[in-house]
Parts: sequence; C-alpha cells; structure tokens
Amino acid sequence: MQSLVAGRRAAVLLCACAVSAAQAKPIAFADGTTVMAEYGAGTMVEAQAFYAPSYRFSAGGGYLRLDSDLARRSREIEYVRANVLAKRWNLDAAQANVFVWGSLGRGRGDGFDGSRLARNAGFQLDYETRRVYAAVKSDLWESPAFSHRIDTVQLGLAPYEHDYRDLATWFVVQARRYTGEIHRGTETALLLRLFKGGTWVEAGVTDDGKPQVMAMFNF
Amino acid sequence: MKKITQRVCFLALLAANAHAATIEMDVNGLVCAFCAQGIEKKLRTFEATDDLVVSLERRLVAVSTKPGQDIGDEALRTALTDAGYTVKAIRRSDEPLSAVRERVQASRK
Repeated sequence: MQSLVAGRRAAVLLCACAVSAAQAKPIAFADGTTVMAEYGAGTMVEAQAFYAPSYRFSAGGGYLRLDSDLARRSREIEYVRANVLAKRWNLDAAQANVFVWGSLGRGRGDGFDGSRLARNAGFQLDYETRRVYAAVKSDLWESPAFSHRIDTVQLGLAPYEHDYRDLATWFVVQARRYTGEIHRGTETALLLRLFKGGTWVEAGVTDDGKPQVMAMFNF
Repeated sequence: MKKITQRVCFLALLAANAHAATIEMDVNGLVCAFCAQGIEKKLRTFEATDDLVVSLERRLVAVSTKPGQDIGDEALRTALTDAGYTVKAIRRSDEPLSAVRERVQASRK
C-alpha cells in the first residue's frame, strides 16, 4: 500500500513537472525553469523542479525514492532545495563548474515509524567541451533514522560536434556507489544521451541489465 | 576648420555605430545548447533586438537591431555576464545578420 502511494506521488510529480537528476546541471540559465527526472536501475527514482532567477542560484523541490537491494527497504524523501553555482570557468572552447546545494525534507521508510526531518548537502564538479564531458557528483542525506550518500561519476564522448539547434548525441559511461545499505558495490551503466533545444533525454542499461532513464527540460 | 572636420568625423562615426545592422560578440564558455538558449533568452529581452544567431562552432553571438535602435556595448557585456558567460570582443558592422548566418553555416561545411 505504501509503495502504491509512493508510486502515485512519483507519478504526480513526473506528470506535473514532466520528469530528475544526475549530472545534469541544477541551474541551466538565468530566468530558466529546469524539470528533471531519473529512474536509476530499480534503486533510485528522483524528480526535481527548479527555478533560477540568476545563473548563480536556483531553488525548488524534489522527490527521492530509494529501494535497497540489500535490506529490502524503501525510503522516500520530499524536499526543498537551493542550488548555488559556486564557481564557473568560461574557457575558449570549454566550460567547468562547481555547484553546491543544500536541502531540507521529510523522510519516510519501512525501517522506522512516521517521518523524520532530513538534511542534505551535495556538490557537482563538471567539465565540458563539445566533444568531452566529465562530471563528479556527491549527494549526502542525513536524518535521525537514516544516512546515505550517492556518489556518481560520468564520462561522456560526443561522436560529432553539435551546434545550437542541432541534435546533440553523447555516449556516456557512468559509475555510481550508494552507502547506507542501499546497493552493494559499484553500479556501472552505459548511456546514450540526446539533447536538442531545451530537451535532454538519456537512457541505457547498468552492468546487471537494469534500465536507467533520465529526462530534463529547460524553458 | 580642423576642429569642425574632427567633430564631423566623430559624429559620423557615432552615427555609423548607432545604426549598425549587426553586433557580433566572441563569447567564452559557449559549449552547449543550454548555454545558447540562456543567451538567446537574455538578448531577446532587449527592445532593440530584432534577431540573433548563436554559433557554438564559432563561439559567436550576433544580434541584429531594429532600424534606428541600438544596444550599447556595456549593456551587451552585462547581459552576457548575467547569463553566465564571458565576452571577449564586440564588433559592429553594416553586414546583415543573414550574411553572418550564411558565414556560420559555410564554416560548418
């Protein structure tokens, strides 16, 4: 029953915002809205929506569900988040960024009763040219009832250099580790990323054959 | 007489700049469609903007202005800085934006 309610909530968020988030930038551009959703190989579902009044700051909310394949437990967190672009390097043919964020939310799970206040902090470092993309992201959640961290590394290569209004194609290798008894070992995935205009879609499979899908819309 | 000539030249130069058909900007950090999207959104907020071209390949942003209108260099620099990018150079010319667009497309072939 609980999972049904959770599923409905996720669906509502997915529909209302159109979709989460790994390695996509939490701030796309000034006066821009970013909606993201990710399905992570049966372990993670996350949906987020942010509005950025400037290119250095965005705020919004999200929903995170984690299903442990070790302890057979689920955890859901609904949260509000602020993202800050701490540093940007605009190079001749490249850009590099440091993003940091913090969240407050309510966490529920089948390992404890009721809900708990949960706190979050994270960062992302990325470097991008029109042919190479590299990113490192870490996302830590803490509450009196649970603690976990999700670390993700992505390396992308584009077979051709896209221009504005072209379809951009990327082949991405991703490695991800979860702490907090969510998933044992490193989960690797091969992804195909396509984006055009304000729409970004990414899909692939993990090393154990599970699907991973992510979508992002900027407008 | 010399002073008058200098003033006339100066005013002619100002007038030429004020009616420039196209403003081209070399921009650093321009690597993805989202960058271009943010810059386009920002530049279209100017009343004087008629149309624009963004080229990731040339790291170029070109704006054409409406007849008799102009956007100052400082305003353009501020707009692109506020969008998160670095302007390296600004050039003004009477070349129409369509010619810039053709030049950009030709460089991709």
